[in-house]
Amino acid sequence: MTEKLTLVSHVDAINWNRIQDDKDVEVWNRLTANFWLPEKVPISGDIQSWATLTPEEQTLTMRVFTGLTLLDTIQGTVGAVSLIPDALTPHEEAVYTNIAFMESVHAKSYSSIFSTLCSTKEIDEAFRWSTENQNLQRKAQIVLEYYHGDDPLKRKVASTLLESFLFYSGFYLPMHWSSRAKLTNTADMIRLIIRDEAVHGYYIGYKFQKGLEKETPERREELKEYTFNLLYDLYENEVQYTHDLYDGLGMAEDVKKFLHYNANKALMNLGYEALFPSNVCDVSPAILSALSPNADENHDFFSGSGSSYVIGKHEETTDDDWDF
Amino acid sequence: MIEKPRTGMDYHSLNAMLNLYDTEGNIQFDKDREAAREYFLQHVNQNTVFFHSLKERLDYLVEKNYYEPEVLEQYDFAFVQQLTDRAYGKKFRFPTFLGAFKYYTSYTLKTFDGQRYLERYEDRVVMVALALAAGDEELATSLVDEIIAGRFQPATPTFLNAGKAQRGEFVSCFLLRIEDNMESIGRSINSALQLSKRGGGVALSLSNIREAGAPIKHIENQSSGIIPVMKLLEDSFTYANQLGARQGAGAVYLSAHHPDIMKFMDTKRENADEKIRIKTLSLGIVVPDITFELARTNEDMYLFSPYDVERVYGVPFGDISITEKYHEMVDDSRIRKTKISARSFFQTVAELQFESGYPYIVFEDTVNRANPVKGRINMSNLCSEILQVNTPSVFNEDLTYEETGKDISCNLGSMNIATAMDGGDLGKTVEIAVRGLTAVSTQSSIDSVPSIKYGNDRAHAIGLGQMNLHGYLGRERIHYGSEEGVDFTNIYFYTVLFHAIAASNKIAKEQGTSFEGFADSKYASGEFFDKYTEQEWVPATGRVAELFAEAGIAIPTQDDWRELKASVQEHGIFNQNLQAVPPTGSISYINNSTSSIHPIASKIEIRKEGKLGRVYYPAPFMTNDNLEYFQDAYEIGPEKIIDTYAAATQHVDQGLSLTLFFQDTATTRDINKAQIYAWRKGIKTIYYIRIRQLALEGTEVDGCVSCML
Repeated sequence: MTEKLTLVSHVDAINWNRIQDDKDVEVWNRLTANFWLPEKVPISGDIQSWATLTPEEQTLTMRVFTGLTLLDTIQGTVGAVSLIPDALTPHEEAVYTNIAFMESVHAKSYSSIFSTLCSTKEIDEAFRWSTENQNLQRKAQIVLEYYHGDDPLKRKVASTLLESFLFYSGFYLPMHWSSRAKLTNTADMIRLIIRDEAVHGYYIGYKFQKGLEKETPERREELKEYTFNLLYDLYENEVQYTHDLYDGLGMAEDVKKFLHYNANKALMNLGYEALFPSNVCDVSPAILSALSPNADENHDFFSGSGSSYVIGKHEETTDDDWDF
Repeated sequence: MIEKPRTGMDYHSLNAMLNLYDTEGNIQFDKDREAAREYFLQHVNQNTVFFHSLKERLDYLVEKNYYEPEVLEQYDFAFVQQLTDRAYGKKFRFPTFLGAFKYYTSYTLKTFDGQRYLERYEDRVVMVALALAAGDEELATSLVDEIIAGRFQPATPTFLNAGKAQRGEFVSCFLLRIEDNMESIGRSINSALQLSKRGGGVALSLSNIREAGAPIKHIENQSSGIIPVMKLLEDSFTYANQLGARQGAGAVYLSAHHPDIMKFMDTKRENADEKIRIKTLSLGIVVPDITFELARTNEDMYLFSPYDVERVYGVPFGDISITEKYHEMVDDSRIRKTKISARSFFQTVAELQFESGYPYIVFEDTVNRANPVKGRINMSNLCSEILQVNTPSVFNEDLTYEETGKDISCNLGSMNIATAMDGGDLGKTVEIAVRGLTAVSTQSSIDSVPSIKYGNDRAHAIGLGQMNLHGYLGRERIHYGSEEGVDFTNIYFYTVLFHAIAASNKIAKEQGTSFEGFADSKYASGEFFDKYTEQEWVPATGRVAELFAEAGIAIPTQDDWRELKASVQEHGIFNQNLQAVPPTGSISYINNSTSSIHPIASKIEIRKEGKLGRVYYPAPFMTNDNLEYFQDAYEIGPEKIIDTYAAATQHVDQGLSLTLFFQDTATTRDINKAQIYAWRKGIKTIYYIRIRQLALEGTEVDGCVSCML
């Protein structure tokens, strides 16, 4: 992991008035409109709810979040950055820098959940667990290996699987709590993260498909095989990891369905057919419904700000608007 | 208290299936009904304490200190038995899972350990009726009839607390002035704590407080302005959390022409510094007509130092009509002033509304023109529907009152438009509702905040609200905001107003007294009635005339109004304020209503609350056959919402919580245009702005009702 990072060797001034791929602008606009910081969410509203969790549930929750922190750290410092040299357009590079930054915001938001809800000792223990859990470390290692590989399209595959698949074993838990009226502000923050990851996975997958168009049929076949092999590897490991985490509370079976559902989603982002048949993807409706971050949610004043506001587009009013 | 299901799916999962289409693309309404049923079978029935008889039950609850004996002692047991039988005879059933879940989670009486239920819905209704009727058997019977039939629903604090021995207050909504001195600020923070502890939402006006950099004891650059006061308030509300049930909630209002206005709004910026960021406090701004005029001509707007204004005019800044005094103050060299561009002010408001939904807006001059009572309205409340006059208090150094001013509390309750129309006797429904709400006012005594008590004792203000407009219109196959929809709203509110005043007049006659200040009001002068005696109000469309005729509800005539006017001028009215239309969250779920007179936010609404988690709620009366009448608020757009609210507003003495909904393709300019339109149409306040961002194509959740359009 000490090899030198390849930097882009030549840079022209980026001209946003000459767009090669409209998707770059669309995604850039979406990502910037979705900008947020963890300080916006009143996590302290969950302190009492946190106290109602059993010690086992608290431990599980912290472990889940340390796992997510690790993935976001990888994606922020290596994953998104490693995609930059392969970008097809300068605007794609710009989008990756945004993705990298937001991943770091995500990584930090778990810390702000921790610091609000737990003691330093508990936090340290959870982080220690994360460095000692083999399956988590293996997951990180697999992804890191591919990021350091020399095939740009393979890197995109790894990145998409991380964004659209690997996060979700962790996301399951806060969604589960929120459907049971626990840690609802934390769930708001996670929903903001999910909102971002959904766009990231979609975009990187899209860029993969663009790249694939230029490849020979043999090479396409190779990449497809590679994708499914990698998914199998990750899936097996993910199943182990899920059992490590969730067995104690008897939730592993439902989490696995959620993994299948999201694995299919990741494949869809990459332009491939679903792997898991729908009968093993029947995620609890409470979890599936909880994923939607749209503004249809109605909340009262006593329960935080929700996860639906965005940064708006400015437009000045004209004299006609004021003609009354 | 969630058990593993015995068979099949648990009720949360069944309920969540509402948000997922079935294989034919239909909404699965039956799954939600199944969820409600399973909730009773799996959870409620198993956790309800059983009693052999009503007598045994009441004796137990009184003895164990669950019920207030004083409430029951006002009646013969035989009557209570008969009333209970009457309530159970109506065969009430919750039509949705959320209705039942919300009721049992938040309202019903539970054992002190919170594990077992001691009341069914019918028991709660009877207890509320007995408490409010205060020994009047006829009123108690009428209240049971109205509440069980769903025509009238008392607001949460009343419905939750009435008759319980361990209870909070019956009122939940308070408005306080803050004056420009440390005693008033300190006392306000105490009041915020006291009222939050009792379950209230509190709004405070900051307009009178001197700006950052204003002098203290004539020494310049001393004051730190309003932001630190907001911080203190925010922390106070977070601290006082009603036995952990929920956090306190508060709002602060500021005049648009206060020098700290931009800083005030910046506290809600996404990238605001932690020291000034306001997370949970709601913000509102008070905007006079002159600000619109200045924006129209694209001029700068001056902001005036409240400290100087109070010294020049001898009254607090908030009590001045800025529109009236604007040019005078601009020319007065004794008043320090700064300026900003009026248009960029409105643009900033729209930006903030995009990012955070805040600030609320009070159109100050519209509000004061429509106010029938002497005095000035300078703020609103947490839901921007309460609009009443207030007067300042003066404090001694030890924070006791040297002079008690009038602050505001409001007793709310809402009618369900659909069931009220179905009931066929709108006059009676309104009268019982007004009597129920008046009882709340006379039984309330907020001793911890004397200015609230003082105001309530003299004003007996109530706020009769309405809900389920969209549900009703949808059921009748009328589009929200269509000509017929607006026509219905107009005639319905017109008729309700008549009966509300008639009821209050009747109470004044019985009590032999009116609210303080009646003699100076436009009711006493008769001016209020001009628009009804001089102008004829009839349905403009055949469909609406038909709806009223079919329901057997008479629309008041000009002669009816003349008669009422004479009676009011002779006997007065008991309540200083009568109507206010709140946003109705929880109670509309229990009551199976769409909230307030808004359009639905979504066909399947996602409700998130601390105590509930995420639960899904179908629009009342919606089926897979009439979906086209249940367009959501984002599809309907701001104009039709404003038109509907304008039709109602002209017959409502206080305000109506009006939320505007935009797609994320909207810009700040679209929001500004909607604000201008609302102001021109005579809207009094704007509550939240909500933006819907649809999932980027390719990233949505498969088959999700609330994510696809």
